Amino acid sequence: MTEKRDDEALVEEVVSAYRERSVFGEIRPSPAFYDLDDDGRLRAFEEANRARAMESALDPQGLSTTAHALLARIKAGR
Amino acid sequence: MDLDALLPAIVAGDADAFGRFIAGIELDLRRSLRPFATRVDIEAVVQEALLRVWQSAARIVPDGRPDVLVRFSMRVARNLAISEIRKKKELLPGDDEVADAYDDSEGAPPDPMLRRLIHDCFEKLPPQPKMVLGMRLENRGAEPDLKLAEEAGMKLNTFLQNVTRARKLLGDCLEHRGVSFIGRAP
Repeated sequence: MTEKRDDEALVEEVVSAYRERSVFGEIRPSPAFYDLDDDGRLRAFEEANRARAMESALDPQGLSTTAHALLARIKAGR
Repeated sequence: MDLDALLPAIVAGDADAFGRFIAGIELDLRRSLRPFATRVDIEAVVQEALLRVWQSAARIVPDGRPDVLVRFSMRVARNLAISEIRKKKELLPGDDEVADAYDDSEGAPPDPMLRRLIHDCFEKLPPQPKMVLGMRLENRGAEPDLKLAEEAGMKLNTFLQNVTRARKLLGDCLEHRGVSFIGRAP
C-alpha cells in the first residue's frame, strides 16, 4: 500500500475501530497514529469520540463499532 | 443505569451483558484518557483495556462503594496508557495521577429523541458519504479501511474523504436542528 495520504485521511484511519493484533493477541496501535503530529492526534481523538457517539446512536443495541469489534473478538475466543 | 448490576452476568461469561456495560462506559472511558491522546492511540488502549476487564472481571472485589466496575475499568485503561508511554520513555510528571479525575459531564448516553435525529440526518446524507459511513458501521471494526475501500470500488483516500465528509454533514444537519452533541469537526 503506497498511496500517500494527507492528514485528514490519516485522522480518519485512526478514527476507525479496526486495529490489527500482534502475534501475542494484543491490540496494536494504528500505524497512521505515528504519522500524525500532536494536533492531528488530538483531532483524531475528538473525532473518534464523535464517531462512537454517533455509531451507538445509530445502532439498535446502542453499541459503537468499538464495542462490536470487541464483542466479536470475545465471542470468537479471546 | 447501575453498571455494577451487570457484574455477576459478566463474571458468568455473558458477552451481551458486557456489551451493555461497554455501551454505558465507553464515552466516559475515552474522555478519561484525553491527557494521553497525543502519546498513545486511544482506540487501541480502550479496546485492550476492555478486553482485560472482561478477562479479569471474576477477580473484581466489590468495596462497598458504587461504580466498582467503572472504577476498575478506568484504572485498567489508565495503567495501560501509562505502561505504553513508559515503554516509549515518554512519561511526564503527573501522568500517574492525571486520569484519576475525569470529566464525566458529557457522559450521558444519547436520548431517544437524539437517536432519532441522528438517524434522520444519516438517512439524508448524499449517496456516497452515506454508503461509506454505512459500510464502516456494518463492518463493526472488523476489517481495515483499505478492504472496505476496495469493496466500495474506491481508492483509500477517496473512501476516507467520504467518511470524513459524512460525519461533517451529519454534524451540520444536527447543528441545523439545534443539536451540538456531535457537532462540526474543528
